[in-house]
Amino acid sequence: MNNKASELSILEAINETLHSEMERDERIVILGEDVGRNGGVFRATEGLIEKFGENRVVDTPISEAAIVGSAVGLAMAGLVPVVEIQFLGFSYQAMHQIAGQIARLRYRTQSRFEPQITIRAPFGGGVRTPELHSDSLEAQFANIPGLKIVLPSTASDAKGLLTSAIRDPDPVLFLEPLRGYRGIRDLVPDEEHIVPLGKANLIKKGDDVVIISWSYQVELSRRVAESLEENGISTAVLDLRSIVPLDVEAITQIVTHCGRAVVVQEAPETGGFASEIIATINDECFWSLEAPVARVSGFDVPYPVGMLENLYVPDEARIRSAVLKTMEND
Amino acid sequence: MPKPNDKQLQMILEDMVVARTQAGRLWNLQRQGQIGTIAPIDGHEAAIVGAVHALETESDWVLPQYREPLGLRKYGPEVLDTFMLYNLGHPAGGHIPAPIKVAPSQISLAASIPHAVGLAWGMSLKDEPGVVLVFFGDGASSEGDFYEAGNLAGVIKAPVIFLCINNQWAISTPTHLQTAADSFSSKSEAFGIPGITVDGNNPSTVYEAVSDARNRAMTGKGPTLIEATVYRLGAHTTADDPTRYVPSEDLSAAQENDPVHTLIKDLKNRNLWSDAKQKEVETVALERMDDAFEKAKNTPLSINSLMDHCFVSDTPRQARQRAFLIDSMEKINE
Amino acid sequence: MPFEFRLPDIGEGLEDAEIVSWYVSTGDVVERDQALLEVLTDKASSELPSPVAGTVIALNGQEGERIKVGDVLIQIEETGGNGSPEIRSEKKNMEIKPEEPSTSIEDQESFISVAPKVKASPATRKLARELTVDISEISGTGPSGRITTEDVKLAARTDQEVSRDSSPMAEYENLLLRKERSDLGYMTPGEHKIKGVRGVIAKNMSASWAEIPHIHSLDEIDASLLIDFRNRIKKVNRHGASKITPLSIVAAATVRALKKYPMMNGHVVGTPAEKIIIPPFINLGIAVASDSGLLVPVINEANDIDIFELAEKISELVELSRDQKITADQMQGATFTITNYGSLGGRWALPIISLGQAGILGVGKIEERPFVVESKVEARPTMPLVLGADHRLIDGDVAEAFKNSVMDDLLEPLNLLVAE
Repeated sequence: MNNKASELSILEAINETLHSEMERDERIVILGEDVGRNGGVFRATEGLIEKFGENRVVDTPISEAAIVGSAVGLAMAGLVPVVEIQFLGFSYQAMHQIAGQIARLRYRTQSRFEPQITIRAPFGGGVRTPELHSDSLEAQFANIPGLKIVLPSTASDAKGLLTSAIRDPDPVLFLEPLRGYRGIRDLVPDEEHIVPLGKANLIKKGDDVVIISWSYQVELSRRVAESLEENGISTAVLDLRSIVPLDVEAITQIVTHCGRAVVVQEAPETGGFASEIIATINDECFWSLEAPVARVSGFDVPYPVGMLENLYVPDEARIRSAVLKTMEND
Repeated sequence: MPKPNDKQLQMILEDMVVARTQAGRLWNLQRQGQIGTIAPIDGHEAAIVGAVHALETESDWVLPQYREPLGLRKYGPEVLDTFMLYNLGHPAGGHIPAPIKVAPSQISLAASIPHAVGLAWGMSLKDEPGVVLVFFGDGASSEGDFYEAGNLAGVIKAPVIFLCINNQWAISTPTHLQTAADSFSSKSEAFGIPGITVDGNNPSTVYEAVSDARNRAMTGKGPTLIEATVYRLGAHTTADDPTRYVPSEDLSAAQENDPVHTLIKDLKNRNLWSDAKQKEVETVALERMDDAFEKAKNTPLSINSLMDHCFVSDTPRQARQRAFLIDSMEKINE
Repeated sequence: MPFEFRLPDIGEGLEDAEIVSWYVSTGDVVERDQALLEVLTDKASSELPSPVAGTVIALNGQEGERIKVGDVLIQIEETGGNGSPEIRSEKKNMEIKPEEPSTSIEDQESFISVAPKVKASPATRKLARELTVDISEISGTGPSGRITTEDVKLAARTDQEVSRDSSPMAEYENLLLRKERSDLGYMTPGEHKIKGVRGVIAKNMSASWAEIPHIHSLDEIDASLLIDFRNRIKKVNRHGASKITPLSIVAAATVRALKKYPMMNGHVVGTPAEKIIIPPFINLGIAVASDSGLLVPVINEANDIDIFELAEKISELVELSRDQKITADQMQGATFTITNYGSLGGRWALPIISLGQAGILGVGKIEERPFVVESKVEARPTMPLVLGADHRLIDGDVAEAFKNSVMDDLLEPLNLLVAE
């Protein structure tokens, strides 16, 4: 095993990053429900309160609006709040503070106040959670100017992107893949590791078609792409990593090269972020397209109960089928 | 329980008179189409100014709602200058320059209450002595943010002063339709913090209450909820017609208790104020406002302001949009 | 100029208001902020205070009348003139024109029009344009009659080697290449009367051959820079850029050379030779193969236009000629001709000068050949050139100088962008 890197799960990578960042920057304050003594319901904040004390790792009451709203005040005081919202679906309770206050703080005050705020939240299906625990809301936030939105798909990226997010002077929503918390493990550099926001990652090269995705669906896309090699289809996979800022250049390059693309999202089809990507492809690569860009997404119903979940969440079969269909038109 | 001394009372009255005078000019500017919607301060002067004079401007923050800015004179001329930019609709109106510890107006009711809690909390984490005073109205106290933030503040013992100015009306909703509680200050019980109601028309009582609360906060005893009772003597804003719902007898009675007139009378009786002084203060106040407004109108506005300060630097998409905007304007100007 | 107080929008989205009562009359002296009138909106009644001090000149509305936001209410002649507040005018009109689509790809006015009802992917359409194929005339073999890339390539009949080859020569755009005519070179056995265009050609060819003593000077250049220049300039954001072809570059170089050596632009009159005419303008003829034979449309006053315009004109004329829509007018008055037999696949030829001219430049097909570059032999794309000249007027030195000028510009095409 390489001295310089260790195999970690996404969760472990996040925990490690929080430890090292808090060590490095004493302005960082962690707040959220159950983040202190319990170390977070997923143990993402494990060990922090013991090391840094209860002034810097705070168990808050159940008040998403106040948690997020007080993060504004902490930032005004010159601290760096890293807020945990236990599940992304609960962010609805804090929506007005996120959309109407955090996203607007810099613009409203013309940078008098620096909103160096990170909000971490897990989301995503396939783990049989109760209602509102798995919902993918990233597209809803994407339409709010002033918020950066980051969705890592690997442990290494989780570390690199979280580091960038915490250090970014603008507000960042850091959305973590529930299914990937323990399910995705890869080599993570031991030392400081920075992945810049707004730069996508072409995790697999290909010439015929590209699958574009983010978060857990990247892993599924990768598996589909590998298996398609046997069908003689050279499939690229682009992990967006951030949806705001969007790496338009990377999308343009790979789609122009392949001429065909499939976008995968867990969120419901209508108004999902795949729509934005396809619009962007239209703007930048229209003349290179050999076939319409396809979308694989959830359905336009509320996120369903456990027994129906597998029907809803895009799986390898659906992704594969979409790619084959896209290739068909030759 | 410190009361303001005579010198302080004179300064308080001066600020109150300035606020009242400038508010009159502000109203007219709106009626002349020169500025946007404004919320008149008439009737709230004693509560606002009395509170502010109990603070240390070097260390204490004020988070206003939207009616208070004219009463924050103690914090320096920048507050008025920025306020006039804000009224003009200029983006610079959101930036009260450092080191002035005043935040810009908050349109979303009660949204600044959690901010105040976080700010106070942050200051104490950094061992920066000082308190945060957040203004909000009777109506705002019904918003969820008030309860969540008050509750959180109690738990973490944030050095914050919640100052609810109860002016009896939330646009057209009277207080008895706003809450079934005995008073707004009684809600402090739910937060586990002290709550007190004072006569908001008397700047001394407000001064005292805020000084006490400040003391508590500075000695680690945490937040306080103060309700200052006043009467809204004017309209909710320039877009409102109070004659539709305010009973005229109530208004007349309230006008008898006009806090500015009351204090003028008191101080004149004690030879601490005079008509000449009054005239001088009013004249200077109007000149100051005219100056501030002129300055605001002459503050340049660039097309780039539309795109500036969303993020520290543009995303590629924003850069493209910015270029498009500039290019379109150039084409129009050709 | 009296101050005009216009009805403001005092109520967040008002359109109009009713004048309830005037507090002042014409001739009254008013102070700043003095109440002038009461108006009634759907929200409330309000008094409007005067923004200025002065004398009332005119009231613009009766009590009870409704007036619109923005209409003048009252005019006041200001006293003193200082301190009057400027009523802030509406922000500069933010009417933003829709962004023009980037034209880095094809100019939508491409001379091949894309018929709206045809089904083809964007990539296929683009290819059709590049190969100058009329997509509406292709029947598609794809699903639902969709036109495929293969269909387009087949229609263009581009040289198999060229389309497969990814070397620069694959880019060489063949303006004159058309669908292979199955009757090329064919005539039914028997006697045929010479008439029409064939008749004219026959007559002119005889006359030229008989009268003009031809010399020909042959040469070959390394076309690498020419090809590179062409690939890059056609992407430039300039009208006509996409029409630039190796032929139009040769034409531009020729025009430049003709300006330097006006004798090549002239001609000899009379049999036996009597006069030399040197025209003050350059009319460049471009030989085009059409279904009914060789046509030579003319670009008038080519001396006056830049390479972009030249390329556009060439493209236009070639198209018209191919479609046989060219008029006799458009084929008159050439002072010099370029013939591009390279488009027919030819490399070397000795072209015949037209009567009324003293020179002709033959251009052969660009193909890879061994070439010496810095003492080493390398494969380079080469373009053969043949200059034909009337030896009554043009001696070897002029011919060589002229030819060298053309070649220099083809070897360094950036020269063509330099204004004279």
